[in-house]
Amino acid sequence: MSMALNAIQIQGLVKRFGDFTAVDGIDLDIKEGEIFGLLGPNGAGKSTTVNMILGLISPTSGRVLVNGIDMSKNPQKARNEIGIVTQETVVEAELTAEQNLRIFGRLYHIPPEELERDIDFALELSDLTGFRHAYAGTFSGGMKRRLEVSKSLMHAPKILLLDEPTTGLDVQNRTQIWNLLREINRTQNITIVMTTQYLEEADQLCNRIGIVDHGKLIALGTPSELRQRIGMSNVIEISADREALPKLAAICRKIGLEPKLLSNKVVAPGGARATENIEKVIKAISESKIKIQNISMHEPTIDDVFIKLTGSEARDTTGSFKSGRVGMMRGR
Amino acid sequence: MGFIGDTYTLFLREMLIFKKNIRVNLPRSLIFPLIFIVLLGSFGNTPKNVPVAVVNYDNGQAALNFINLMQGSSAVKVVSQTTQQGAMALLSRGTVAGVLVIPSGFSGGQEGNVYLYLDNSQPQSAEVVGATVDATAAKVGAGTVADNVNGGGRGLVSVISSYVFGAKSNYLSFVVGGLIIMVASFGAIFSAGFTLLSDRELGNLKAFLITPINKFSILLSKIAYGTFQSLLSAYIGLVIGLLYGATIGAGILGLLELIWIVFLVGLGFSALAIALAARVKQIQTYALVGQTVAMPLAFLGGAFVPVNLLPNFLLPVVAVNPLTYAVNAVRDIMIKGVLPINTLVSTSAILAVFTGVMMVLAYLLFRNTGEHL
Repeated sequence: MSMALNAIQIQGLVKRFGDFTAVDGIDLDIKEGEIFGLLGPNGAGKSTTVNMILGLISPTSGRVLVNGIDMSKNPQKARNEIGIVTQETVVEAELTAEQNLRIFGRLYHIPPEELERDIDFALELSDLTGFRHAYAGTFSGGMKRRLEVSKSLMHAPKILLLDEPTTGLDVQNRTQIWNLLREINRTQNITIVMTTQYLEEADQLCNRIGIVDHGKLIALGTPSELRQRIGMSNVIEISADREALPKLAAICRKIGLEPKLLSNKVVAPGGARATENIEKVIKAISESKIKIQNISMHEPTIDDVFIKLTGSEARDTTGSFKSGRVGMMRGR
Repeated sequence: MGFIGDTYTLFLREMLIFKKNIRVNLPRSLIFPLIFIVLLGSFGNTPKNVPVAVVNYDNGQAALNFINLMQGSSAVKVVSQTTQQGAMALLSRGTVAGVLVIPSGFSGGQEGNVYLYLDNSQPQSAEVVGATVDATAAKVGAGTVADNVNGGGRGLVSVISSYVFGAKSNYLSFVVGGLIIMVASFGAIFSAGFTLLSDRELGNLKAFLITPINKFSILLSKIAYGTFQSLLSAYIGLVIGLLYGATIGAGILGLLELIWIVFLVGLGFSALAIALAARVKQIQTYALVGQTVAMPLAFLGGAFVPVNLLPNFLLPVVAVNPLTYAVNAVRDIMIKGVLPINTLVSTSAILAVFTGVMMVLAYLLFRNTGEHL
């Protein structure tokens, strides 16, 4: 019965590039105050959707409302409602931390008398007060990302959209960004929408997750809801050389499992009798004399949900896209 | 504030980056003019078949001999004119590089003068004409017996040369005049284009596009930055040129006119740069595109060599190239010492039209830039 307002409403969103339909009719409401994760394999239409939310490209049909404001009709007003951290870290290496903040503050038309205070606050928020006059080019990846996050919050937006905010960061820096995001979500009630390829990140951070594939929203729910969708059975995972993978998948299929081929492993939900099934698989592998590196069974993660739904891994490892697709086609 | 304010903020940002990189930016603007002036300023090439108007008020045999001898060398091409006024008109239009006047009574006396007027805004050509006439005078002056028997010979001939445009003939001023316009156009094409490209590559362009500003203030700030770079490059080129010995015939007023011309070139070529860069994704590609456009335009605008030395089939390109007019105006200012007001107006108009067309083109190509990130 909660009357949560919608921060972002995506209605019947379609984007075609020539014959190619990148986004194929997405409807999605992101509630005020939530942390929402948008997931999807490369080429799924995730970036195109984000670019339409940002008003960088205009939809073929459908619309995006940001705090009720239509992005296509009133982009300048809608953009004031939203802060953005893009995939590329765009703090300017050749400007100091302060100059970076000042230029963007001015572009967001923050009045000069407020700007100085906002710059101080942003430096504090990003823990960079001591680096005010240092050139951003000298910063570590984590410092740059923190500066960027606080830069995007200078104009006090109600929504913060982050496109892969922790890609390329080490564990320590990633944790710092998570804490920063949780803090601004809690203390300033800012709705956070993020795309990520780290599924454990979505699992830990997001209240709700949407999975996009082939331009469609194929799953939507809390992380635990999504985990339940895969049937709660444990997952069997076999790593081996790439050439051996199709044979391993065939073995799984013979036993009655539904395997997916990934770049360096075969993954299959174990079913109701997972323990029995893994024994059968081990026996069959040893009979077939196929060399494997590892075989294991674990509780389902968001990764498994993602693999089951999209047939591919979220992370961009060379070749995974292709083999993932092949696996998916066979799975169907 | 609004549009102008946003443009100013973005321009400010370009200037902050420029300042940060000044140790690279300044030498880059310095090296090119220095090499250009030192190398090109030190030697000229020798043109052939330089057109010379000849006004023969004498029509005696000695005068005809003089003209025939002159024509015998492949250095000059004689264009006969009946009146001095007509010949001088050709000279001021740049159709001929010199006017030779043979006064009546030339064939009669033992000694005589010929009058030579040279266009020092075409220093190489003027030099060739002067040398040819001097050589001819020497030959005629040492007239052979046969000539005398025929009644066509005569004694000593003095060549009285004068330059039509007050200032001294100065090949260096010629080079520097071309150089200024060349570095101005290069400065615009490369700075405005590269900053757009690097902003696109680094994601800054996207970052600006998602702020609530009008995206054309991005375009305008790049054009402003390109124009700044044009003025800076031209200024450095001019200072080096002046230190090396070039002169500005038209003085302080001329300097102001020169800055104005450079400003218009900067504006037009920065807009051209944005139009060229609007759909290019890679810096390397733009470097190629920029070179392909910048070099020929500078060359065909007469920045290196006088356009009257170019083959005929290139002349239409010369005529539509805005740099031709800019180069001519700057040379008028530096060498002729005066830029007639109507030339200033027509040159400004041509450059303004060029700028306008390029701005519209840049606008159209940049309009959907969000789709081309």
